[in-house]
Amino acid sequence: MKPATVRRTDLRYRIGLNLRAVVGRSYPRIVGANREPSWIFFEALLPLLGIAAYVFIYQSFGARSFAAAAGNTTAQAVISANTNALIASVVLGGTMVAFWLNVLWSMASQLYWEKEIGNLQLYMMAPMNRMALLGGMAVGGMVMTSMRAVSTLVAGILVFGVIFQVADPLALLAVFFAALIALYGLGMMFASLYLLWGREAWNLSALMEEPIFFSSGFYFPVGGLFRVPGWGPIIAIIGSFVPATFGLDALRQLTLGSTAFGGQLWIFDVKTELYILVFMAVLFLILARYSLRYLETLAKREGKLTSRHQ
Amino acid sequence: MPYAVETRDLTRIFAGKKKRRIRRKRATGEGEDHLGPVTALDQVSIQIRDGELFGMLGPNGAGKTTLIKILATLLLPTSGQAFVAGHDVAKDPFPIRQRINMVSGGETSGYGLLTARENVWMFSQFYGVPSKISKARIDELMHTFGLWDKRDAKVRMLSTGQRQKMNMIRGFVTDPDILFLDEPTLGLDVNAARVVRDYITNWVRSQKGKTVLLTTHYMAEADQMCDRIAIIDNGKILACDTPENLKRMIRTETTFRLEVDTIRDIASFSSMEGVKNFSHTDDISKNRTHLTFILEDEGPVAEILSTITSQGKKVHSLQKSEPTLEDVFISMVGRGFE
Amino acid sequence: MNTFWRTFKVAAWLGWEMDSNWTEPWLFMVYSVVKPVAGAFILVLMYTVFAFIGNRPDPASFSYMYVGNSFFIFVGSVLFGTFQVIQSDREWYQTIRYVYISPISYYVYIVGRAVSKVGVAAFAVAITLAFGVAFLGVQIHLTVDAVPLFAASMLLGLAVLLAIGICLGGISFLTAKHTHGLAEGIPGLFYVFCGVLFPLSILPSWGQAIGKAIPLTYWFDITRRLLAPTLGVDSTLAGYSDLSIMALLVVSSVAFFGLSLLIFKTGEYSARKAGKIDMTTSY
Repeated sequence: MKPATVRRTDLRYRIGLNLRAVVGRSYPRIVGANREPSWIFFEALLPLLGIAAYVFIYQSFGARSFAAAAGNTTAQAVISANTNALIASVVLGGTMVAFWLNVLWSMASQLYWEKEIGNLQLYMMAPMNRMALLGGMAVGGMVMTSMRAVSTLVAGILVFGVIFQVADPLALLAVFFAALIALYGLGMMFASLYLLWGREAWNLSALMEEPIFFSSGFYFPVGGLFRVPGWGPIIAIIGSFVPATFGLDALRQLTLGSTAFGGQLWIFDVKTELYILVFMAVLFLILARYSLRYLETLAKREGKLTSRHQ
Repeated sequence: MPYAVETRDLTRIFAGKKKRRIRRKRATGEGEDHLGPVTALDQVSIQIRDGELFGMLGPNGAGKTTLIKILATLLLPTSGQAFVAGHDVAKDPFPIRQRINMVSGGETSGYGLLTARENVWMFSQFYGVPSKISKARIDELMHTFGLWDKRDAKVRMLSTGQRQKMNMIRGFVTDPDILFLDEPTLGLDVNAARVVRDYITNWVRSQKGKTVLLTTHYMAEADQMCDRIAIIDNGKILACDTPENLKRMIRTETTFRLEVDTIRDIASFSSMEGVKNFSHTDDISKNRTHLTFILEDEGPVAEILSTITSQGKKVHSLQKSEPTLEDVFISMVGRGFE
Repeated sequence: MNTFWRTFKVAAWLGWEMDSNWTEPWLFMVYSVVKPVAGAFILVLMYTVFAFIGNRPDPASFSYMYVGNSFFIFVGSVLFGTFQVIQSDREWYQTIRYVYISPISYYVYIVGRAVSKVGVAAFAVAITLAFGVAFLGVQIHLTVDAVPLFAASMLLGLAVLLAIGICLGGISFLTAKHTHGLAEGIPGLFYVFCGVLFPLSILPSWGQAIGKAIPLTYWFDITRRLLAPTLGVDSTLAGYSDLSIMALLVVSSVAFFGLSLLIFKTGEYSARKAGKIDMTTSY
């Protein structure tokens, strides 16, 4: 008779377990993307049209403004520069949108999907950490997301003639990764809601998509909100809880120059925003751990962890 | 030495959902309001020893799956306690999860775009099984369960039975100490079901520290495989003992099975003196009704036959039989599987 | 005909149940209002920022964009609503095989399921327009004489949207679960080429040619003409009278209806042949 299996609980084992879980869960995403290449069209190319629409809006405004300033070459130069900077902002925002949508739909709400197809209970029964599961989803979706982000950038540069001037590439990378980690930490917190809620959470994600776009300044410099009297600053402050807000603001300063828009539309300088993003990254990851644990317990208590079609 | 599984006065109540629209209340025999809270488990206390193959029989809605979900750390009890491998399911789930796995009958989980092998491998990673070991186990199990030819087929191309086999393999690949099987042979053909049963039985017997909690509707399966069986209904454990002892419990009674012409008027049977319980099934294709009576003694047989013939129905066969597990079940629950 | 009507009714009921059943009615109403208004706000703020940084304010352009964006709510809702019927029944609820084999027209079933989205979208459009008029200075002026033509153009526009949605449905028989990408991407096509937010004249000539081949371009144009006749922003279709635009809308709608039937039937046939009607593709 074979002896009973010995079970380990040491730290090294746990790290190995969770790393394996990340690899395991990212595998279907990566392989699935390979086997159903239609995503390239739907996820990477078609969304460029949305970006194009916003670019054309600014071009349309700019064209009429330019025509109205006929005879005033200084004003026309300013209008051109501003319009180009706004278009560049749209392109950068579109790049970040790829990651935000990945967080919202491919990670957070994915738990609802898993519940509906019956996988969630198998995940929740396994000893891996829930953050490892979500991390695996995020990592696995990174291929698609990166493709979308890169295609947006390339389209912006080649098709719309956007010019980025990167003075400090290290700072750019630091801001980008800090924003990304913070964003995914936020996504893990959202994911915990899906353990408890059913379609409410899914509809909340759908509801949050557009408000986040405008409160975080995905398609315009968010500093503009501070110039809108009354509700503008309130919306901007609410939006600043999404890491993409400071991330985009810093990225735009680093790629367009801090003097773009006459320097009037930035929230803070790049260094301050980087510190904020790092703080957010740490904070959200810690909060995610606790919220996942708490909401899983709540879901188990209410019997909602395994109930489908809520 | 702690039990593999132990529950103490385990209770689980599901709060009823507030309905936004007015619905007609469906009256039950007890006048129960189906919209109110539901007691899925009612002070259930069981102990399952290490190395035991423990069965659980009960009709739909009896509480079997609820119990398994609590033990699998998917659901918290409302009151009472449950321990798996000596650990409290509510307070200490991690060491439990290292040691358990679960397979449900009729499972639809799995990613359509992955192959059968890939799906199982993925789940093994969530248990920290090194890839090399996992793949070797998967190959062996695929051979055992007859899924080798379909190992590289995408899950969406598998039939229901093949998916069920894949899920069985997923259950064993992590080498759990305690395996929860919720109607595991559902959807499998006769041969495949036999292979699964033999594997489960051998798995428990040949390895130290392996325990199975099995729920099933197939009486013969429970009778053949289980060391002990608990009969559960309406959230309560009605009996818990070896199959032989359970049958002995009703051996004082007599079981008669009749095959008659299709008969509609059966209400009078339940109120006949000496009839402890009875069940019936209609065979529409043959225009027959099969009646099973559990009687205190043979006294009521004449009255039963008289009632049948007075309705102009013919009795095609009459058998007195030794009690089976089904008889035990009917005796305790009062009805067959609905 | 009886079967069609019964199918449509039941499907419409099911669509409404699924759309509205996830929360309390008041929260559902809030959601139905907040979502489209939030979408409009992105544009409002884009315009605000543009005007703030020293450029000339342009209320006519703003109204042009706002009215177009408001009616675009129909596009997103109806397209998503029709096409996701197949995806959700197939991947989510796994009921597609049972519906498909029943003696109904699956085409009519999809249309029925999408009807609730039309209703909710109509409500959202009305709210968005009202908000724009009340708080943002959007210029709208619908005369009584224009109401019949407006009603006719709305019906035609919605019919075209349903037809396009069913085209997408036919394609989705064969594709993996890409609900979000498709729901975002296909409306994006119309966002760019149909003069929704900016005049067609901004696009290069090939872009304008594409726009003129899509019936929604005429729908947006006639809607804007009837609702906000004094804007005078776009000159691309200025040479056509209202009735000419309506005629172009009718002709292109009929053509798209035929196309939707063809694509749907082809997609359905191909999926049946490949055994993909009830496939699941989650990953």
